[in-house]
Amino acid sequence: MNAAGAPFRLRQAAIARLTRWSLRRHGEDALPLKVDRRRIYIIPTRFGASLGVLLMAMLLAGLNYNSNLGLAFGFLMVSLVLVAMHHCNRNLLGLCVDASTEADCFAGSAAAFEFRLRNDAAVARFGIEIRCADRGARAPAVAELSIAAGATEAAVVEVPMERRGIHRLPRFELRTRHPFGWFRAWTYVQVPLTAYVAPRPGGVRVLPPAGGETGTLAQSQAPGDDEFSSLQAYQVGMPLKHMAWKTLARGGEPAVRSYSAPSASPEWLDWFALERLDEEARLSQLCGWVLGAEAAHRAYGLRLPGVVLAPARGAAHRLQCLRALAMHGFLPPP
Amino acid sequence: MRLWTYAKVPGDEVSVEQLLAAAGCVSLVLLTSITVLPVWITLTVAALMGLRLLLASRGRAAPAPVLRFVIATLAIGLLFLKFHTFNGLIPGTALLSLIAGLKLLETRGQRDLHVITMIVYFLSLATLLEGESFWLLIYLIAVCWLSTATLLRLADTDSMAARWQRRLRYAGKLLAQALPLALAFWLFFPRLDSPLWHLPDDGGGATIGLSDTMSPGDITDLAQSDEVAFRARFLGATPPADQLYWRGPVLQDFDGHTWSGAGADAELPITPKPAPRLLLSGTAYRYTVSLEPSAHRWLFALDWPAEWDTSKASQGEDYMLLAPNAPMQPIDLTATSYVHMRADGPLAPGLRRRDTTMPGGRNPRTRELAAQLHAEHPDTPGYVQAVLDLFRRESFYYTLTPPRLGQDSVDGFLFDSRRGFCGHFASAFATLMRAAGIPARVVTGYQGGTFNRFAGYWILRQSDAHAWDEVWLEGQGWMRVDPTASIPANRVEHGLNDIVSLGVPVTSRWQQRTHWLPDLRLELDALKQFWRQRILEFDQHSQERLLEWLHVPEPDGQKLALFLAGCLITGMLWLTWVVRRELDVKPSGKVERAYAMLCGRLGKAGLTRRPHEGAEDYAARVAASRPDLTLEVADLCRCYTALRYSLAPQSAQAKSAERAFIAAVRRFRPRAP
Repeated sequence: MNAAGAPFRLRQAAIARLTRWSLRRHGEDALPLKVDRRRIYIIPTRFGASLGVLLMAMLLAGLNYNSNLGLAFGFLMVSLVLVAMHHCNRNLLGLCVDASTEADCFAGSAAAFEFRLRNDAAVARFGIEIRCADRGARAPAVAELSIAAGATEAAVVEVPMERRGIHRLPRFELRTRHPFGWFRAWTYVQVPLTAYVAPRPGGVRVLPPAGGETGTLAQSQAPGDDEFSSLQAYQVGMPLKHMAWKTLARGGEPAVRSYSAPSASPEWLDWFALERLDEEARLSQLCGWVLGAEAAHRAYGLRLPGVVLAPARGAAHRLQCLRALAMHGFLPPP
Repeated sequence: MRLWTYAKVPGDEVSVEQLLAAAGCVSLVLLTSITVLPVWITLTVAALMGLRLLLASRGRAAPAPVLRFVIATLAIGLLFLKFHTFNGLIPGTALLSLIAGLKLLETRGQRDLHVITMIVYFLSLATLLEGESFWLLIYLIAVCWLSTATLLRLADTDSMAARWQRRLRYAGKLLAQALPLALAFWLFFPRLDSPLWHLPDDGGGATIGLSDTMSPGDITDLAQSDEVAFRARFLGATPPADQLYWRGPVLQDFDGHTWSGAGADAELPITPKPAPRLLLSGTAYRYTVSLEPSAHRWLFALDWPAEWDTSKASQGEDYMLLAPNAPMQPIDLTATSYVHMRADGPLAPGLRRRDTTMPGGRNPRTRELAAQLHAEHPDTPGYVQAVLDLFRRESFYYTLTPPRLGQDSVDGFLFDSRRGFCGHFASAFATLMRAAGIPARVVTGYQGGTFNRFAGYWILRQSDAHAWDEVWLEGQGWMRVDPTASIPANRVEHGLNDIVSLGVPVTSRWQQRTHWLPDLRLELDALKQFWRQRILEFDQHSQERLLEWLHVPEPDGQKLALFLAGCLITGMLWLTWVVRRELDVKPSGKVERAYAMLCGRLGKAGLTRRPHEGAEDYAARVAASRPDLTLEVADLCRCYTALRYSLAPQSAQAKSAERAFIAAVRRFRPRAP
């Protein structure tokens, strides 16, 4: 792309200035939000600017040839451009925006933010782009949608997340180049989007056995071992006290009993048990364990420096654990 | 049909249907300039387009860059060899057409589509710069409409027909919204009085029918052409029909067969020798002549021109008016003429010699006849009359299909064929005069014309082309003699069409019997003239007059600019309103509108209805915060609910309740708290 021309840089600089100015101007927004006319900005696209230059040349030629038909045609095109500008602006005007401001994902995958756009107007909206950019990302993540008159549409923007942690996207942008791509109208919604990026699940170590051999909290060894629910194939490292000896004695495959009650011999996934690994590797290993324990329907607790999550099971607990892993070393969002 | 089934060219962003539409638009624009472009350009562009569409229909991408580069270099190189420049309208159009074709060949993404769209716009303008037709303008606007609609990316879920219908409707709506603003721009945008840069001369331009030589028999085609030569509008009095002689090139040199002027008009000096002074008398006739573009510098003025716009014309030695250059655009010339004149002094010896010269040894029988007649009538007026009597008495016929004449054309006409048209009579008459030593010359121009009573002007067509004579009378000056007029059917007062008895009719019989047909033609011509004078020739003066008409005191460029700015601001505000108004959901029925009005009024009083709130809830909330309005609002809301949900629609009861509700809402004006 020959994008590095001087006019292009000038345009980029203008957009950057405009962005800073609009940030100072609006302050924080609250969702749901109705896009009013004071927050819509508009600028010609590269196509629009080229067309502008072409139209100037056309009018000049018309004037020079003293051709009234040429001028009539030129002026019609100029007016069409002005009309298109109004339509571009209108395409965003009065749109109601709502969004899920939090998303969870693993490093290396994408955080999916969900947006809902409601169109209360009597006309359809076309080609609305929702753009979210992570800090330092090369290109923003985009979802494009059209909304019929009086309809509500949802869209998911998947923002790729490379590194673990809390990623705060200070705002998102609604943008449109409707109708002819001559102008681009946009608005910033100053609502921070938060992505909790859990570490990439990894590590080669097997799940620590239940009973907290490495733990120090005795109360976690609650009774209830006999609330047996099902058998699982034995793997190296599984606690021997859950071994289904009878099955083995009958000549079957080695298996372990698993228990349904959360209190049934919870496992502690412990930061401090992984001394020889560096920080990210430890978190990665813990993340892998959380997923493994959850998949194995076992209760698990998570112990991180400054954070202790009591053993439990289920989606909510898993999410809590993953967020704790994501937030490790980061300040919690305000 | 496989073409349609591909939604996208693999790896491309542009869909095949967009590609097809873009190719269609380029072809439609090129169609208008197909006659001026070299054939191979048109063929190349068509081939490039065809190749691309073929590839696209097979689902294959554009050809390799190397091939495209070779084609581009070859084509543009050939173009340069042909024109030696890219400057100018035709080379520029050719170049842009080629680029459009090449761009189509390599269309990959939306960006290429953008370039093609812009080329379509520019080619349309290039065609219009030299175009004059209303239909051309409409056609090109339609092409650009299609081209612009191609850019629209609406939801892709519809069928293709539905999608294009929506695209065209949307783009059409935008075009319609652009019209008022475009009109304001066009009316008030200041025009230049001289070009910013010199226009390259493409050597085109229409040619007007008269030529600067006349061999009788050459005007045959002209007499049958209905093409308009010019139009004339008298500002005030109109001269009698037999005085409507519009002076064109004067022919003095005769070789026995061909009359020719003082030199081809290209050789005429920019400021010709001044004509001998005339003493003009009688009524002054002021008029405007609107001339079509021409390859000659001649302007047609009524005999005898006294005053004219000296910036547009100068007068030659023989009293004809000449433009500084052959007019490329239609031009208007306002002049004043007198039909009566007398020469101020005797004929200069040089001119006398020129206007009595006879080619030696030619037309001997004519010389004989002249000598005989002159002996009988030694005075000039008597001799002129005798010659005219000869034409009237002897069996001379006026015809548009005269026989071919030999080298001694006057002898052949006077003694053998005796059939001819104005050129024959004028040529024979002038020869008879010169043979008797009387200065005489042939004048060509237009005579008569059709009066357009719908628009009040005269139309002079090529069929009104005429030739007559001028004879020098000692002590008086040049006298116009029209020998064609002395043949019995009076040509002078009625024009060619009425002398059907003398020869082949000019227009068919049924056309003459159908009275509405000429009327229709006149009306159409009035429209054409309106288009020409009001639209094509709209200029600074028209803008001045427009401002005067709008009661702007002392109109000038600055006021025009102010007006333009005012129109622009109003136009933008209007656009904002029009475009945003479409967003509002309008209540559908009368009752709904009245209810919306009620809510609006309460809203102004500080009690805006919430979107989810029903009528009853709303009334309850109003009652809670404004006890003074309780009764009225509760009543109205109850009435509204009844009208919406319980009364049978269209029943008499519902109708009267509806009227009462609407009237009550209109009366309801809550005070602000």
